[in-house]
Amino acid sequence: MRKRQKILRIVSGLALAAGMLLFRGQEACASVMPYDTYSYDWWTEDVLQPHAYLYTESYAGNRFGSEMKTPQDMFFRDGFLYIADTGNNRILILTEAGEYVDEISEGLSGPQGVFVTKEHRVYVADSGNGRVVEYDEDKDVVREIGRPETDLIDASQNYVPTKVVVDDAGRIYVIAYGINMGLVEFNEAGEFQGFMGATQVTVSPFEYMWKTYFSTDAQKQRMETIIPTEYSNIFVDQSDFVYATISNLSDEDHLNGADAVRRLNPTGTDVLRRLGNYSIIGDLYSASDEAMWSSFTDIAATDYGCYFILDNAGGKVFCYDYDGNSLFIFGGMGSRNGLLRNPTSLVLNDDQSRLYILDAQLGSILGFDITEYGANLLGAMKAHYTGNTEQSDRLWREVLRENANSEVAYIGMGKISMREGDYQQAMDYFKLGNSRKYYTKAFEFYRKELMQTSFAKYMGVAIFLIAAVLLVSAGKKIKRWVGEVKCRNI
Amino acid sequence: MQKYLKSMAYGFHVITHPFDGFWDLKREKRGTLAAAVTFAVLTVLMLVVRKQGTAFLLNMNRLEDVDMMVDIITVGMLFILWCVANWCLTSLMDGEGKMQDIAIFTGYSLLPMLIIQFPLVVVSHMITAEEGTFYYVFTVISYLWTIALLVLGMMITHQYSMKKTLVTTVLTLVGMAIILFIALLFFSVIQQFLTFIVTAYKEIRFR
Repeated sequence: MRKRQKILRIVSGLALAAGMLLFRGQEACASVMPYDTYSYDWWTEDVLQPHAYLYTESYAGNRFGSEMKTPQDMFFRDGFLYIADTGNNRILILTEAGEYVDEISEGLSGPQGVFVTKEHRVYVADSGNGRVVEYDEDKDVVREIGRPETDLIDASQNYVPTKVVVDDAGRIYVIAYGINMGLVEFNEAGEFQGFMGATQVTVSPFEYMWKTYFSTDAQKQRMETIIPTEYSNIFVDQSDFVYATISNLSDEDHLNGADAVRRLNPTGTDVLRRLGNYSIIGDLYSASDEAMWSSFTDIAATDYGCYFILDNAGGKVFCYDYDGNSLFIFGGMGSRNGLLRNPTSLVLNDDQSRLYILDAQLGSILGFDITEYGANLLGAMKAHYTGNTEQSDRLWREVLRENANSEVAYIGMGKISMREGDYQQAMDYFKLGNSRKYYTKAFEFYRKELMQTSFAKYMGVAIFLIAAVLLVSAGKKIKRWVGEVKCRNI
Repeated sequence: MQKYLKSMAYGFHVITHPFDGFWDLKREKRGTLAAAVTFAVLTVLMLVVRKQGTAFLLNMNRLEDVDMMVDIITVGMLFILWCVANWCLTSLMDGEGKMQDIAIFTGYSLLPMLIIQFPLVVVSHMITAEEGTFYYVFTVISYLWTIALLVLGMMITHQYSMKKTLVTTVLTLVGMAIILFIALLFFSVIQQFLTFIVTAYKEIRFR
């Protein structure tokens, strides 16, 4: 299967090259994107998909006046891009077209995180100074939130905040370097509240026994200590739930089915829906030449449950739906236009028509525009989420017209058929979408309906057959009895 | 022909009354090799039908990748391996069964799988995923029944005690593994040997 795909890819590549020679000078088309868009199907095979986002342009220093130096974070709010230009100790503010607006640089030292509230108050994780700074709309300092006053953090340990988000209730969540007890939570007044959403440590019984009973002290010292993983980035969604990503998962973690993304509710419990066919870890296989798994550095969620994750190891963007199904994957590492070197942050504009990726090594922002296919797919997801059946039906059909391999589209169509009560149709769709979970529901209804309408018919036939068999055997018995009586009488 | 059909029908007596049935298979000459081979062929057919005909809900096979040859080779190879390994061992361990007797009791032991799993394919089209538990229970029952029959058949055919039967069963499995290993080794060595000859021939020719 894979081989066939490879051959197909080579053949189509050759055809494309020939085509390009013939029609030189024509407009660049979607198929010359430097990356593939794909998704994983039910059999965990990667299947090529139509492009959902196309690279259009990149904003570098010459566009807004001054070069960026290892920028680490970016935030989008109401048409403006806020960039933590870490190497230049400033927060850069650009319009969404990449034009310079303003910058904040007073007293900042290597800021690695930036967040902007709905009221346009800017929160900066001022990593070098070990504090979080809040600015008002006029970019004046309002307050600073320093090291949390607690005995839970060792006094010798530096406090280096790297990422910050603020929810609608004013709670401030901070990721700090070296603190593995979860997110640092401050209340509205900036007082330390505690840690939230610590990752659970799992130790296998064998490992535990080995470490406690069979290792010498010298061995123990050289062994890796078992510590919970740290979060790499956070995003707060419209219902004040915090999406958090974990980047440094090992081979072992992957074997144990660890999760790389969480959606924490305000009490710190993970409520991310994991109903997809496989866990949300990015690429399902590590790159074959070097044992390398996807390493998530940023996440952006839409208000209808779909979320985009940025992978720093493969330079890819993963899009998942509300249930955790992979919608599409695109992007890659390299030096061609549209490929990445060291992506650090990803943001979406308000209607997801454009996706921006910040690259620390390139020192530029790459803009990706949504295609018609991508808009239909996300639109269908949104329509389904808001309960607009008519629109999602129309959009799913559009998606299927462009991509007959889309399992999510078939499942979406199936759900609509089921709501309309056409269970047989729903079964067909769910079968195409390879969803046994929904198929069994549709089948149950279908069977019930069939029994209600045709139970009498089938039962009648069955009773008739049983009666016929009984009659025949009874007839035989009577005949034999009559025969016996006759014999006796002779 | 009459005898063949009768010996097939006797299979139903064997699987329900194994002690009496297996005794008669050998000593009363009620069983035929043809019937045993028929059951093995039907097992292949059952596997093919099961892989393709089971309802979507309970069928995890990818239809593009289903290959009949795999079933033929698995069943055929396991059947022959089992018979050969069992014969080799039991002829050393005072077993009374001849090669033919072993093939017959093995073939007849496959019958429960056939009579349970063929109907299950039909049943699978009428049940939901939750009711699939029943489907799996019956599948497991058919396997256990077959294994029990294999053990009992061996015990009765060779006139063994239960303990000796179990030991022989384990040894037979080990024997199968050894035969497989030697076969693979043999093929690999032959292959290397042939490659060597071909290479040497080429070297000499091109000099």
